[in-house]
Amino acid sequence: MSQADVAAKPAGLFDRATKGHALPTVSVEVERGRIRFFAKALGETDPVHSDIAAAQAAGYPDLPAPPSFFMAIEAMADEERARLGQPSLITLLKCDFRRLLHGDESYAYHGLVFAGDTLQFDTKIIDFYEKKGGLMEFVTVEATVSHAERGTLITATRTLLHRLG
Amino acid sequence: MAHANLAAAQVGDQLPGTTFGPVTRAMLALYAGASGDHNPAHIDIDFAKRAGLPDVFAHGMLSFGGLAQLVTRWAGLGCLRSFGARFVSMTQVHDLINCSGTVTERFEADGETRLRIAVVAAAQDGRQTLLGEAVVAVS
Repeated sequence: MSQADVAAKPAGLFDRATKGHALPTVSVEVERGRIRFFAKALGETDPVHSDIAAAQAAGYPDLPAPPSFFMAIEAMADEERARLGQPSLITLLKCDFRRLLHGDESYAYHGLVFAGDTLQFDTKIIDFYEKKGGLMEFVTVEATVSHAERGTLITATRTLLHRLG
Repeated sequence: MAHANLAAAQVGDQLPGTTFGPVTRAMLALYAGASGDHNPAHIDIDFAKRAGLPDVFAHGMLSFGGLAQLVTRWAGLGCLRSFGARFVSMTQVHDLINCSGTVTERFEADGETRLRIAVVAAAQDGRQTLLGEAVVAVS
């Protein structure tokens, strides 16, 4: 590699050409078992996430998903993308798991997700930036989870980063 | 589950604290499976060592989920309007995470009264791991 190549190479590992890219919408189905498994993994004690009778007694049509179940919805969307032969967000961004960290995650909730829901999942790569003189590079991603009748349920904003130092 | 009387909540009120963990490798394996986040840095010590890390470390989102429970146990699931956190340091295997929250603001938005709550996750040695904020609807 010549010195010119090194200089031309953008700092960092993320593929910054993906800035502004919106991944194709994919549809995912939420199963009761996945909500139960997720709630158990979090040590959730509220039975509404596992027991149909408790959920219905609380006024819910089915098991409601815990607030951070977004992660499982995204993973299901990635699995669907893989079946469709489409790259995942992680692949598009060229994330390196040896250096990848999670910077922040935030959700606005417009409605609950329930077992039995079919959801539309959208993701868009918003921007890249650096901190600490290029020793850390960041990407901001936005995603939405929507339901055909109930509209947008979750708007997510998250930052991932590579440690480059 | 019985929840707090949010109508009576005031700025400065502390939420009943919760603890999470100690984080075990089994918890990380289960969370990887349940969340679908299969990043090997959280579940494969061989990978972690090749990446120059001393050990696997916990998914930030595992503590995030525990921190969200602090709020939903207090306020109820249905009134959560937003929840977010920054991951300010790594959560290590064996860390015991203490979750705390304080009401910082009472305000009106979208025709309802809401509370803003500052939330913190910290390990047994006081090291902060997550700093975040929740908004819940009172009415």
